[in-house]
Amino acid sequence: MRSRQRFLSGLLFLLPFAVLLVLWAVLVPWFDVNPRLFPRLSAVAEAGVESVRDGTLVGHIGASLLRVLVGTVLALVVAVPLGIAMGVSPVVSIFLTPLFRFFSVLAGIAWIPIATLWFGYGFGAITFVIFNAVFFIVTYNTLLGVSTIPPAVRNAAASLGAGRWAMLTEVLLPGALPNIVTGIRTGLGFAWRGLIAAEMIATNVGLGYMLFVARDFYRTEVIVLGMIVIGVLWLLLDRLLLAPLERATIERWGMVQRA
Amino acid sequence: MKSLTIRNLSKTYFDLYAGTNHTAIHDVSLEVAEGDFVAVVGPSGCGKSTILNMIAGFIPLSGGEILVGGRPVKGPGPDRGVVFQSFALFPWKTVLENVAFGPKMRGVGKAEREAIAREYLALAKLTEAANRYPNELSGGMQQRVGVVRALANNPDVLLMDEPFASVDAQTRMTLQEELTRIWQEKRPTVLFITHDVGEAVFLANRVVVLSKGRVLDDIGIDLPRPRSWDALNEDADFKALSNRVLQLVRSA
Ligand SMILES: Nc1ncnc2c1ncn2[C@@H]1O[C@H](COP(=O)(O)OP(=O)(O)OP(=O)(O)O)[C@@H](O)[C@H]1O
Ligand SMILES: [Mg+2]
Repeated sequence: MRSRQRFLSGLLFLLPFAVLLVLWAVLVPWFDVNPRLFPRLSAVAEAGVESVRDGTLVGHIGASLLRVLVGTVLALVVAVPLGIAMGVSPVVSIFLTPLFRFFSVLAGIAWIPIATLWFGYGFGAITFVIFNAVFFIVTYNTLLGVSTIPPAVRNAAASLGAGRWAMLTEVLLPGALPNIVTGIRTGLGFAWRGLIAAEMIATNVGLGYMLFVARDFYRTEVIVLGMIVIGVLWLLLDRLLLAPLERATIERWGMVQRA
Repeated sequence: MKSLTIRNLSKTYFDLYAGTNHTAIHDVSLEVAEGDFVAVVGPSGCGKSTILNMIAGFIPLSGGEILVGGRPVKGPGPDRGVVFQSFALFPWKTVLENVAFGPKMRGVGKAEREAIAREYLALAKLTEAANRYPNELSGGMQQRVGVVRALANNPDVLLMDEPFASVDAQTRMTLQEELTRIWQEKRPTVLFITHDVGEAVFLANRVVVLSKGRVLDDIGIDLPRPRSWDALNEDADFKALSNRVLQLVRSA
């Protein structure tokens, strides 16, 4: 029953895309659109096969994903402990919340110019942009998560003999986890957009770069291919990894009703 | 199990908005003997929770002292188990893990602490619920978990702040009967806070009436045990004691 339902909802999700592809395959040749303005489906498919065969696409994807991975992991390693440390103290949390909210809004793209000034063009600048996109949002969400743990729950743990370390690992971290996961999901969304933008400016490999260079040669089929890959990769990451993770923590523990 | 001694306890809150001090507890002294069951009743705002929170170590004292087994308490600790009105279970842990939490903090191994937890879950008729999460349980079941979670840690004193106030009347009566049964079996030292006079008389050996931060009276309840609502509902002694306490509370 459940798997059947999931299959159906998956089908419903894909249906509009199928319609779009059909329209594309029919309308673009029909109106004989200039390929310098928009490519035919067949040309994009060929470009796809070609770039897979010569390894360039894999290279770009690999470079982009590696940057996301490094930037995100670095950001999490700093953000989660910091967010918890801040959340534990109401005073610190009240003081820093506005700052982290402000920088959360700035997430991603706005950091690109200063990143290139500080790190030059390349891996450092792009990773920095991703780091920032994830760091501020996850720190803010962690802080929020810790401060939503009811004081009685923390008191209960203390009365059952929890010391500082146990309070951290058994109460604060799991208590904040649903918020942390939500933060990661939002942050990665910004990071992904920031990544593409940064790669257009600050590097010579990666999906953003692939789009940007193709534009110089009027290779619309490569541009559209890149756009599709960027979108599909994000959907896969979000739907197959982040959304289930979020659902698992939030629904399982009933944290939504509780909050 | 140990005794609980409160001497000349006072608490003054600073009201941030009014910029004035407000004394919630004036010079309260109270002795709960080892293995005794004492209930504290009083109207809303008379300072019941304030006293319990100081004993539990959640808030600092303004004056006086609190001793458990003759030794002064400092901050929250496993010698004083607490049952909260809001249950305060860990939503990310199963019922079994919740109850095994205290022993885990004491460094008891996994197999042993789960055996302890199962023993206490059986005591509260919760064996079936061991592997469920708190949000999958009814309020009454959650509070039974709250009670045995505190008991499973074998505290010297058990502190309960209106633990049954947020469940329906039928469930509350069942929980009260279960609590008296468990208390008779394990004989913990209990300080039970409530504004429900019937509940206080039904459960306790002594009822302390609190009024505006002072002890108004201290009444012995010599009803026989085991106690059940079927037996006590129409019992003349129970009614007389309840009435007496009720008069005191209303005059408070
Ligand atoms: N954190 C606080 N800051 C200032 N005043 C407080 C604080 N907590 C309690 N008070 C005041 O102290 C008095 C006693 O409060 P307390 O919560 O102990 O009452 P209670 O007897 O538990 O009442 P209830 O039956 O409604 O739970 C009240 O006047 C309350 O307003
Ligand atoms: Mg209260």
